This record gives sequence, structure tokens and C-alpha cells, in this order.
Amino acid sequence: MDPTIIMQLVIASALGAVLYTIIGIAPGTDETAVLAPVTIALVLLGFSPYVILAFFISAIVAKKLTDSIPVAVAGIPGGVMSAPMVEHSMVLKEKGLPDLSIKKMSSGSVIGTLIAIPLSFLVASLILPYADKISSYAGLIFFLGAVFLALMSRNKLLSLAIIVPFGILIQGLRHLYWGLEIVPGDVTVFVSFFLGITIGPIIFSLFELLNKNHRLNLPFLGQKEITIRKGQEEKGLPNPFKILNKKEVGFSASGSVVGTLTFFLSPVGMTVFIGDVISRHIKDPIKRASRALSTMDGVTNAAYLSGTLIPLIAIGLPLSPMAIGPAAGLFNAPPVFTPENNIHHLLSPTEIIMVTVIGAAIALIITYYVIIRYASQICGFVFKYIPHEALIGLFAGLVVMLAFMDAGLINIFGTLLIALVSGLLYRHGVNYGVMFMILYAAPWLLGLFG
Amino acid sequence: MSEEKQTLVDIWGDHVKIKDLLIAMAICITFTLGGYIIAPGEAPQPLVFGLVGGVIGFIISSIVIKPKRNVKVEGEDEDGSNDYHAASNS
Repeated sequence: MDPTIIMQLVIASALGAVLYTIIGIAPGTDETAVLAPVTIALVLLGFSPYVILAFFISAIVAKKLTDSIPVAVAGIPGGVMSAPMVEHSMVLKEKGLPDLSIKKMSSGSVIGTLIAIPLSFLVASLILPYADKISSYAGLIFFLGAVFLALMSRNKLLSLAIIVPFGILIQGLRHLYWGLEIVPGDVTVFVSFFLGITIGPIIFSLFELLNKNHRLNLPFLGQKEITIRKGQEEKGLPNPFKILNKKEVGFSASGSVVGTLTFFLSPVGMTVFIGDVISRHIKDPIKRASRALSTMDGVTNAAYLSGTLIPLIAIGLPLSPMAIGPAAGLFNAPPVFTPENNIHHLLSPTEIIMVTVIGAAIALIITYYVIIRYASQICGFVFKYIPHEALIGLFAGLVVMLAFMDAGLINIFGTLLIALVSGLLYRHGVNYGVMFMILYAAPWLLGLFG
Repeated sequence: MSEEKQTLVDIWGDHVKIKDLLIAMAICITFTLGGYIIAPGEAPQPLVFGLVGGVIGFIISSIVIKPKRNVKVEGEDEDGSNDYHAASNS
């Protein structure tokens, strides 16, 4: 890698860190919905794969560091992943220690990052010899992945029953577009269907709300009351190994190891599970909350990084909930990236690790130091000036544009169809992951019937 | 007054007003798709125009629409240097 590329990496990482520090704080933002469209857009814009990977890693580390901040200062989760931490954070907030939970959480995140990167590399190199075999069974593996995730879903029967019909919906639309000669026969529409599934729950709730009969039965809400507690100004450079005591370092490190090794499982599930196991027996509420928070943040960070890095380095197919969701753009964003030609094929494992280290280091430096100091000011700014409506509007705009780009006007309606069906399924307990797996497995699965 | 206050719904983890949400979506979709369509050059120019349009739409909707959050700041140093209290009453 020459100096120009390294400069570009640094700039891309810095932009990713700043952008996702803000998005991370905005309440309720779903990881896939905010990370995937932007990554995919960057890929389609033709940026170098090095730059895209650096941007993504920096974005995910920054988002992970910051989405727990509103939990600490205001008790509302900044993302799906930080929801399990609300309970423990509230303990510290009520005791008047919001800056303690920020410090514990972000230090846990730092440890998770430091553990996950080398360990992912190790795990990936163990899988690497079998990669060719694994990728030749890709269709079957995605199908089994769908079955596996269906069995982990809240509604197992519906999740299993929907596998073939949902595949028909996806392949049916693709064949319709081919039949109408809207897209050439060698192009498979992917991005817009993927985003349709992602925004499904929002679109579905939106249409429910537009229905007057339904709306009248809803409890209407007033303004969201948020109380921010201002913490003390921090002097000097924060050091995670001083903020956490030895035991907390040990627990968040071992939690991160488990989080890395279980990269193919649901990160939220693992976070809740590990956080519960390691803190259940502690009596003192402050100590329990501190340990749970530092460990849980370490686990989520490690699970996110390993879920991206291991499939990326070893196989080149998105074989983890993380890779199939937020990181999807790194694996498949046709026509630039396809399962046969993506970051796995374009970069060597060493390059992937180097770029990851640069991206993660820049995000940690920028975000870690900034949030530990200015957490309450940043939250105040985001809560006061960034309306939730504008964020949803922006993502709706991106999805509509990418749908139009994929297959013209008709595909805006096709994507809407997929969004409504996925929203309905999601509402009835079908996991996102099941639908993403079906999206990948559909051509192989329906080919079996031919 | 109470009618004005109780018109919000919870979507995607935060409170929004349906009318404002539809306005924001209309603005953002118009600018994003509009940018994509009016771009004169070859790929990837339409995408660049579309993304810039999306950012413009986002900024416009952020200005037009007020966040539905009541932010209060409590803390040790109430020296009046922050204006969160004043703004949260609006």
C-alpha cells in the first residue's frame, strides 16, 4: 500500500467516525438500515475497496461506541444493540453516575475491538483451508442458515413456513423484470430487495398509521421527555485500562473472546446472554452494573467486528448475521461487488487486517476521546436539532433512489411490496436474518423445483 | 392545547408527528430521486447527484421540522453557559 492509499484510508475513516458518531447517538437507529445503504452507495460510486473497508470499520466502531451514550445520559437506546444495556445504565444514572457508565461502556468497547481484530484473523485462518468447499455449497449453506435462524426466531413455524414462499416472491420479481426486459438477463436485482427487507418494519408501521381506524386505537404520545445529566469535564487523556479495574478488564476481554468465537450467532442474543451470566451473582448494584456494561459493550463490539471480518477474510460469502445485514455491501453490491468478486477477492487477508486496524484506530482515537469528554453536549445537540422525521426521510430517499437505479420505476413498487411483506412477517415474529438468508438462498432453492 | 400535544406516534424508537414524517419523506425522496434523474452525465454521476440531493433534503427537513423531544439538562455546573433550558420550553 502506497502513501496515497493510506492518506485516503485515514480520510475515509475520519469521515466515517464523525458521521456515525452523530448517527449513533440518534435514538432508535437500526444498524442495518443506517450502515448498509451508505456502504452500498459508496461501493456503487466506485471508491477503492480499501477506502470502503476502512470507512465501514471506522463507522461500525464509532457507531458501537456512541450508541450506548444516549443510554447513559438519557436512558434511551441509540440502536438495537444497546437496548439490552438500558437496565444497567439506568442503575448508574439513578445513582447520579452517568459519566461512570459512559466510561465503563466505551472502555469495554475499546477492549472488545482490541481483542476481536487479532482473534478474528486467527479464526479466519483456521477456516481458510475449507473456504473453497464451503463456497461451492453456498446456496445450501444459506438455506440451512435460514432454517437455523428460523428455529431461533420468536415465531418458529411461520419462519419455517415462509422460506419457500418468500423465495418465490424474490425470484418472481426478478423473473418479471427479466421477462419485461427491464434488466438484462445476467443482472440479478439484489440491493433494493435487501433494503426493502431492512426498512420493512418502518414502512409497515407507517401504512398502519395512515389508516385512520388503526390510528384511533393507538395511544397518542406527547413530546418525548429526555433529561440529560451533565457529567464532569474530564482532564487529560482517558485510558481504558485505568477506567476499568482488573476484573472488569478480564471479564470484558473474555466476553469479547466468546463474542468473537460465536460470530455466526446473533450479536444481540450473545450480548444479553453473556451480560447476564457474568453479572447475575454480584450483589452491589453499582458494581454489577459497571461489570455488565463494560462486558456487554465489549461483546457487542467483538461480535460485530468478528461477524464482519471472519467471513470476509475466510470465505467471501456473508455467513454471519452481521455480514448478511449491516456489512452486506462489502460482500454483494452488484454490479461492483458480487459473491465471486468482492473485498475478500480484491484484498489479501493481510491487507484486510491492515485496513481494519487503521479504520478502527482512527475511530477509537476520534470517537473515544471525544465522547468521553463531550458526551452530554453531543447528545444535547443531536436531541435538540436532528428531528427523527428527517432521518427516516433520508433513508426512505436513499432506498427509493437505489430501487429506481436497480430496475426503474416498477422496482420502486416491487421494493415496496417486499418491504410490506417483510414488515408484516417481522411484526409476526420472523427474524430479519431469516429473510436475508432467503434472499441469498432463493436462486438455488427455487432452482431445485425446476 | 392538549390536542396539539397528543398527536405523536412512536416509530423506529422515537416520537414523530405523522404529518411531519410524510413531509420529510416527500422532501427527501424528491431531492434524492430528482438529483438522480436530472444528473446529465454517465454513471456514477447520477448516484452522486442523488446522494447530494439526499443530504440537501435532510438539511431542509431538519430546518423545517422541529424534533419532538423535550430536552432538559441537569448537572453540577449550572453556570448559564448552555441554553438547553431556554430552548426546551419552546
